[in-house]
Amino acid sequence: MTLALRRMYAIFQKDMKDVSKNMYISTTALTPIILAFFYGRMDNIQLDMYYLIINFTFSIVAVFVQAAIIAEEKEKNTLRGLMLSPASAGEILIGKSLLTLAFTGITLALSIFLVGYEIPNAPVIIAALFLSGLFYTALGTLLGLVTKTVMEASVALLPVMFVFGLTPLIDAIINQYPALSFLEYMPNMQLIELAAQMEAGGGFAEAWQPLLIITAWFAAALAAAWIVYTKRMTDS
Amino acid sequence: MEYSIEVNNVSKVFSNYEALKNLDFKVATGEIFGFLGPSGAGKTTTIKMLTNQLRPTDGEALVLGRSMARNWKDDFQQRMGVLTDNSALYERLSVYENLKLYCDLYDLSYSRIEEALEMVNLEDTGKKAVGKLSKGMTQRAMLARAFLHAPELLFLDEPTSALDPTNAAHIYKSLRELNKKGTTIFLTTHNMHEAETLCDRVAFLDHGKIQLLDAPQKLRRRFADNTMTIELTTGKKITLDNVPENAKKMYAYMADEQVASVHTNEPTLGDIFVKLTGRELV
Repeated sequence: MTLALRRMYAIFQKDMKDVSKNMYISTTALTPIILAFFYGRMDNIQLDMYYLIINFTFSIVAVFVQAAIIAEEKEKNTLRGLMLSPASAGEILIGKSLLTLAFTGITLALSIFLVGYEIPNAPVIIAALFLSGLFYTALGTLLGLVTKTVMEASVALLPVMFVFGLTPLIDAIINQYPALSFLEYMPNMQLIELAAQMEAGGGFAEAWQPLLIITAWFAAALAAAWIVYTKRMTDS
Repeated sequence: MEYSIEVNNVSKVFSNYEALKNLDFKVATGEIFGFLGPSGAGKTTTIKMLTNQLRPTDGEALVLGRSMARNWKDDFQQRMGVLTDNSALYERLSVYENLKLYCDLYDLSYSRIEEALEMVNLEDTGKKAVGKLSKGMTQRAMLARAFLHAPELLFLDEPTSALDPTNAAHIYKSLRELNKKGTTIFLTTHNMHEAETLCDRVAFLDHGKIQLLDAPQKLRRRFADNTMTIELTTGKKITLDNVPENAKKMYAYMADEQVASVHTNEPTLGDIFVKLTGRELV
């Protein structure tokens, strides 16, 4: 194992042990599974409903878990210890994202199974879900870095859940206020757009644009998280 | 002479006050250097600047030959150890799990964990969760983390502030051993006993300025009033100027077997600090 892998794996293992003993974070992350279980028992579930659960999973697991993990490190002063170690910013940020990505993947798979969503054109949809997972994890990192405590991160999650989790609501807003049609370029809207096209039998020709937009969102969130992280390395 | 730290006219201004004013000093490689001063003197600010946690407003400092202004990278952090007031461990994890994480980050063998725990007298506490440790034990666990990779340069901010005298003495012994093996130590303290026991040189910091810098023994001699106190077997104490004219008096007490003890009257570092600044070292 190279040194970078050893460091990233060590941070992942540490987070896993830490989160397993943190009931607040671990139980919150189970919410989408419970929601999926109840929705899965309903008849005639529409695509919007599947993606309501998927986007909710991203908000509550990828964003919240990641934000809470990072905010707690700041609250307890342990992040500075990592920053003062030989681990690079990349090793720390990747190491700290691994648990969230794994957690999001498992929760998402379980939620999709429980709600009974049969994925059309699986390679494209899985690629889109993976890219979305990366974006939401980077967003969670950013949120964790700009907040000071887990409680603050929990409060900051509410607008994130509103904007990214409640996709049908954004759809309704766009219908009522056409001037806000740029909201269609949001990653959650692009994901549902892509899913609708795959449902209608579309292929890669229809998929590349939404995939590119989600990738751009990921790149922007990652760049913002990186800038804030490097600023946090020194006190003001 | 080789220096591990070179500070040249460094100042730090926060929004409404000047925390450090033209600091200028050098720490030789292999030295134990003490930064002494009361709370709010600027000790922690200095450590934070030297470990790149704070940017100076003015001046330049070289740490292990590298400028603070540069972006520090991996191998540099490998050569340094830091314990400051904002150091912390993961409370839900055991002491051993915490140190194991840092072994991985510093690319060390796990056998170093036992050695580091021994250095801080915590051999039997490895499996305990950090959150369940007393304040003193947590402080020692954090010291173990700082000792883990036997750094070339170790920054310690009030390292024994939460410790009882027995454990503090154990830490002093470990610090001296580390120093013998080549670790340069920069420590801040307001504990005069700690400074006198450990430090090769001390600097007195007050209101962000170095007031005095020298070896503790030299400072005590410099500020001594050149008198000595003789305690007689009767319990009476006599203070004599340490001059040739008093040799006969001294001889007479000794010839009559009246001397119980003799002490030269050197001030403590605390006394010197008060004399210089008019402030107590608390």
